[in-house]
Amino acid sequence: MSEPKYEPGDRVQILDIGKPGHVRTPTYVRHKVGVIERYCGDFENPEDKAYGRWGGAPIALYRVRLMQSDLWPGYTGTPNDVLELEIYDHWLAPAAEEAA
Amino acid sequence: MADKLITDIGGEAAGDVPRDDYNMLFWEKQMIATFNMLQTKQLVVTDEYRRIVEEMPADYYKNSTFYGRRLEGIVALLIEKGIIDREALKERTKAIFDAGTRDHV
Repeated sequence: MSEPKYEPGDRVQILDIGKPGHVRTPTYVRHKVGVIERYCGDFENPEDKAYGRWGGAPIALYRVRLMQSDLWPGYTGTPNDVLELEIYDHWLAPAAEEAA
Repeated sequence: MADKLITDIGGEAAGDVPRDDYNMLFWEKQMIATFNMLQTKQLVVTDEYRRIVEEMPADYYKNSTFYGRRLEGIVALLIEKGIIDREALKERTKAIFDAGTRDHV
């Protein structure tokens, strides 16, 4: 197990890596920027396990916190509403700090 | 960009959440128990099940039930892995239907 690349509070962008077949990153969060909530551990890639390729190297999984208002145009809930979902390392890239 | 998966429905209009309780049928309980056993024995993993569902024709997926999809998915995976034979399953199913019971068939 390697050191996790991101720490809680780090800003990340969820990528659209255009991978066909079974993936665990829903379309509506791709390209969105959020914050690492926690590192969840290393796990075998479900994109491989789905096709019977078991026993691959574990990869880091992170819980990413997104603002609901960033996800849905015209969101009418409270501005503090968040969505947290777990995203594998290869779907993430560092994002620039928010402008003050 | 890859095509959107049929299960990737986040944000789509879906109407009200049904709140009626659902009593599982006996075969549904048995089938879920079978699925859990297949996972315990590492013959099938959840990720494979999700993938096989995503490969189902969109029309079938939209008109199928939760338990119906689960059954179809298990069958498709076990055939794919060569653990069961589709023709043998058909014959066995027909024998049970013809007898009207699964006992001693």
